[in-house]
Amino acid sequence: MKNKILDIKNLSKSYGAFKVTDEITIDLHFDEIHALIGPNGAGKSTLIKQIVGSVKHDIGSIILDQEDITDLTDVERAKIGISRTFQVSSIIPQFSAIDNIVLSLLDKSNKTFQMFKSVRNNKGLYSNANKILKEIELSKKSDISASDLSHGDRRKLEVGLALAMDPKVFLFDEPMAGLDESGTNMMINLFKKIKSNSPILLIEHDMDAVFALADRVSVINYGKIVATGTVDEIRKNELVRDVYLGYEI
Amino acid sequence: MIVEKIFNKWILVFLFLIPVLGFIFEEPYYITLTTKVVILGIAGIGLNLALGYCGLISFGHAAFFGLGGYVTGILSFHALNSELMFSWPFVTSGSSNMLVIWPIVILSSAFLALIIGLLSLRTTGVYFIMITLAFAQMLYFFAISWPSYGGEDGLSIYMRNSLPMVNTMDPLTFYFICLFWLLLVIFISAKLINSSFGMVFQAIKQNEERVKSVGIETFKVKLLVFVISGTITGLAGSLYTDLNRFISPSVLNWQMSGEIMVFVILGGIARLYGPLVGAAFFIVLEQTLGSYTENWQFWLGLILILEILYVRTGILSLFEKKLKYEK
Repeated sequence: MKNKILDIKNLSKSYGAFKVTDEITIDLHFDEIHALIGPNGAGKSTLIKQIVGSVKHDIGSIILDQEDITDLTDVERAKIGISRTFQVSSIIPQFSAIDNIVLSLLDKSNKTFQMFKSVRNNKGLYSNANKILKEIELSKKSDISASDLSHGDRRKLEVGLALAMDPKVFLFDEPMAGLDESGTNMMINLFKKIKSNSPILLIEHDMDAVFALADRVSVINYGKIVATGTVDEIRKNELVRDVYLGYEI
Repeated sequence: MIVEKIFNKWILVFLFLIPVLGFIFEEPYYITLTTKVVILGIAGIGLNLALGYCGLISFGHAAFFGLGGYVTGILSFHALNSELMFSWPFVTSGSSNMLVIWPIVILSSAFLALIIGLLSLRTTGVYFIMITLAFAQMLYFFAISWPSYGGEDGLSIYMRNSLPMVNTMDPLTFYFICLFWLLLVIFISAKLINSSFGMVFQAIKQNEERVKSVGIETFKVKLLVFVISGTITGLAGSLYTDLNRFISPSVLNWQMSGEIMVFVILGGIARLYGPLVGAAFFIVLEQTLGSYTENWQFWLGLILILEILYVRTGILSLFEKKLKYEK
């Protein structure tokens, strides 16, 4: 039995009578990619928001690396090692690609409040940022304003921002949405490489990518986890076929 | 951007030349006018840090400008009248020494900005605008109803505050004192904007949620920017009181906050020299149009509307485009 790095128990969130997440229990092991799939509106992104702390949960608990983070703020959770991407690209539009990455490196390197040294003269920060840009294949576009990047490149940059934080876990919300084949392959290879350092909870609609990557898959429907298992188990699960996958795969 | 930098250097050349020419041709009026531009430019640069670079639309910077002015006026008033300010817990009789006054102004403005920031930065958008406005108006009404220091009529100080071995009553000398502060404020602002801290607060303006998600406490960053911004504007208020040798509640009124905001918008939001250019434009307009009509602000409003509709990024950007086209 592998150790759990992220352990979520009975997490619930309701808006009035509507339960967006309903007593969700899910975990993430070391060295693992755990995919979370389900139809639109099933509660996947809300679950991510609850884990990062941007949406307050009603009940439940979240343990990260044996530390209870249930009552921590979103910033505190990010500081102690939860790194995310957003469903819709959320970057700093007027910053260049490399400056976006540098921003993400500042907290770890205790440079947030450094006031009188030019950040652009900090060779260490920019060298690290360049390494990350190379990982996400954006080296040639490092000086391009983020707002001028294509949709696919913005998705890559999102992942780069998460990588720069060197977190304990990654929460990736549809990182491959809108990527072409080479972009998707790059992401698949990258995720396989980084999961040993920081396991990944992955929300993704691209089933080929999910089946290529995931060690375990959980299926969410109407705010409830309806199945968890290996890729083969999930593929064969009748209930999952009914609610999400269908019978053509 | 390079063209803008050249233009900025020309601004500094003019700031040296105009008062010197005023002195040579014995026209102290122009020295006083340029001094006013420099002081209001400092106030605008202070606001620009919060508004232009960090996206904090403060409509209450008159509070800091007025506080700086009143602290200067009150300290000077007691020193000149040899009256005690306090007798408990320690005895103090005010001061007319700028070297004493400036640190007190800086500390008190920073403290006020800290208090206002702690409360107002918990809100965003229109609520932030209204809270900052409310704080400034509170101080305005307090000043009006404080008869010890002139109430509605304001407070006159008969002698400009002093600096050791410097004749501050000489207009050109006082101008260069103000210019020193302007250059220092520009230097500090430039350093801040280009630093890691500057990168963070400029990112907050664009996407605060993203900045939080990379583990940065945006509240602390915004609070610090607000305090620095308020402190700079407070310092400008102190110099303004010394320039006029007078302080009245009008500098605490919302109109003052609006004027400082106009300097920033006219010159160029998030441009280092923008508020200085905006203040100069405002003063020139006041002096030229004001000599023809009392309603010169109508024309200011019209110019502001046209600028927002067609230029948006301020006078400096207009110059940049023109110069690029000429090339």
